[in-house]
Amino acid sequence: MPRIFKLLSCVVLCLGWAGLTQAKDENREPTLDQVWAYATTSQPIEARNILDDLEGLEPRVETLANAVLDMSRAPLSVKQWAAIEPVLAELAQADDVVAPRALYLQARMYQIQQLKPDYVRAEELYLELNQRWPGSHWAQLGLVKLGLVKLYALPEPLDVEERFAAVEALLAQITEPTLRRDLQLQMGWAGLFHQRPLDEVLPHLIAADKVGGMMGITPEDVMIQIGELSFRAGYLEQSKAYFERFLREVPSNNKRYNVRMRLKEVEAALAEQEGMK
Amino acid sequence: MFTKSTPLNDDREITIRIAHWQIELGPPDGIQAAIDRYMELNPNVEVKQVMVPSTVYRQWMRANFAGNSAPDIVEYGAWLDGLADLPVRYFDPLTEDLMQPNPYNKGTELEGMPWLKTFTDELMEQRLNSPEPGQYYAATLTRGSLRLFVNRDLLKEITGSSERVEDFAGMRRIFKQTAAFSKKEGRKILPLGGSKDNAIWIMGFYAGGVTNKFNRTLDDYGFLGLYPWQTQWKYLNQEWDYQTPGIKAAFKILDELDKQMPLGYMSFLRDDAVRQFMRGEALFIFAGTWEATSLRRLAEFPVDAWRCPQPTTSDPVVGEHMLGHYADGSVSTSFGLYLNKRSPHREVAVDFLRFITSQEGNQLFTDKSGWLPSIKSVSVAPEIASFISPEDGYTYPGGNISVGGGTRSVFQKNLYLLTGPDGSIDDFAAAMDRDMPKAVRSSLAVYERSARWAVLPQDSRVIANGGLRESKPDDPKLLLGQQRLEAAQNLSEARALMIARQLELTADFGQN
Repeated sequence: MPRIFKLLSCVVLCLGWAGLTQAKDENREPTLDQVWAYATTSQPIEARNILDDLEGLEPRVETLANAVLDMSRAPLSVKQWAAIEPVLAELAQADDVVAPRALYLQARMYQIQQLKPDYVRAEELYLELNQRWPGSHWAQLGLVKLGLVKLYALPEPLDVEERFAAVEALLAQITEPTLRRDLQLQMGWAGLFHQRPLDEVLPHLIAADKVGGMMGITPEDVMIQIGELSFRAGYLEQSKAYFERFLREVPSNNKRYNVRMRLKEVEAALAEQEGMK
Repeated sequence: MFTKSTPLNDDREITIRIAHWQIELGPPDGIQAAIDRYMELNPNVEVKQVMVPSTVYRQWMRANFAGNSAPDIVEYGAWLDGLADLPVRYFDPLTEDLMQPNPYNKGTELEGMPWLKTFTDELMEQRLNSPEPGQYYAATLTRGSLRLFVNRDLLKEITGSSERVEDFAGMRRIFKQTAAFSKKEGRKILPLGGSKDNAIWIMGFYAGGVTNKFNRTLDDYGFLGLYPWQTQWKYLNQEWDYQTPGIKAAFKILDELDKQMPLGYMSFLRDDAVRQFMRGEALFIFAGTWEATSLRRLAEFPVDAWRCPQPTTSDPVVGEHMLGHYADGSVSTSFGLYLNKRSPHREVAVDFLRFITSQEGNQLFTDKSGWLPSIKSVSVAPEIASFISPEDGYTYPGGNISVGGGTRSVFQKNLYLLTGPDGSIDDFAAAMDRDMPKAVRSSLAVYERSARWAVLPQDSRVIANGGLRESKPDDPKLLLGQQRLEAAQNLSEARALMIARQLELTADFGQN
């Protein structure tokens, strides 16, 4: 057989195999996981198409999935909100895997998914979630959300300390390290916003940094922040350690020169302190 | 016939389009060079370059995304006014793709390195301004800086030397020498080419240098810098204004710069300033390095790119307000290419992004465009090496002639009060403080809305991810995905709440 025909045969076989593989993919049974996978990646139309094709799905799961997809085209109109909220409220009444998720989403509906938030109702729902499923992921995430609202949104208490005491109480109930980190980071930043003493702010930032895994520019900012705030609070060794770590771990950041210059000041202050001993 | 890397016929099965506004000389050539090579390597794909003028780009983007006719890949920048809602609605994150090695780097020193790590700045702009904190939405092509482009021959004719001067005192000498030369020779020559854009760039650059020292005092968060939303909040909270000595001092230098540009420059376009430079009527033109290729290709004389000579701490006019040498370039890469969420060819579009930001693709881009590369180990041509700024300057952005959003129009509207025949620093500063509060409030409100809108669709994603975890509770990838989604949402949510609080606390200020 001439060489060219051998090559052609290979190509035809390969094309046939590729076609079969494609056909197999197209015939793949739709699954609930595919629905969730599309929804997780902001593709609600594809998710809905698969959900519509799914057969034999547990009705409560299907109802939740539909509500989740309805919520994915935010912001919701008043009409959409009014249609979804009762569905979630109904789902939240039971005691199965669907209910805590539905209750969490119901709280979110009041907290953030309407133009004028109803923080009081949201808080009631978050607390109910924590009471019925204490320690669950959704309850703990709800406590983080409640904490954020308390840090910034609720009417100013007479004493700012009350605000932070309330959030500390929520933090004490959260055990998942990444959720504790998220709330502690915001407690640190809100502490600066509310002009709390640096000795109150720094431990939260240091705790958040220790958990790691923060997003975007935040880990770099927090390293600089701990270095700078430690300098201002007089913790020179700690300041030096964080600034040095930043320069070591972050090769590309527009603030590296600022940090290098500040580090020189820290080192000079340390040398002066040493000289006074 | 089976080894030739061209299609068997011209009917390529897949067509993707890439849109951008970098239509000056250079970048389209660089992109086309990468496209041509990509199409050689991928005979079934056609890549079309869509060039849209910057003057209509925002409207073009909004119309095309709303009409579901946007290209697969589009250039976008977080600073584009009035488009903050677009990314989350229409762009698809590239985070997971960026964590994998770029296959087009096989056989290079970047082989095996996660795609993200191959960018010189590891996509700092995305770490700063991502539509969702923690997610990466763009791959970048280049990096840039601000430079003073000089007509080398004319400089030598005027001053007897073509050497760069070290500081702003040296610039003042050149300003005087140019005026004397112009008068003596009877030739119309001014030191600076002027147009609205060039004037705003140079004034913003010099004002930023002067205000660095004061801006550092505003840094109560200890970030060693200020984000625009912090600067805006602090303005509304009346922690600074245009009467603040460390801010107002900058107007003295603006007044000096104004006198080095042609009359009526605020009514001129960028091209007018370029023409003044090309005709030898302006000794310098201040611009971003994105103008360099056009300037060098069009000029009939050698063009040098100077790092801008800066005032020092001993400058007689503004020295007491100077912190020191300030940054004239950013490490951030730019020309961000985003992926249309509705692209029917996501895999191919991502594959093309991988190629154009591979060592080979980015080398083609830089060689043909004259723009700096964004990828590590890509070699930089000697004539553009000076575009890279070393790490030798402070950067404390904050109070300046504009502070984000629509505040630049306040500066533009009132500049005549500083530079007109009866111009006065006091009148200009007063007018800025009269008009700025409303503009700042409006801009801060956009930040709040943008952060809040980023949060809204994430509730669905968080719950959906929870659904996936129900069936695979021990999958570490899903757990990580959950933690990232929730952390990103918590960041945006807290920011939205904080800014809402700031707006509430300052509700009585800036309602004029």
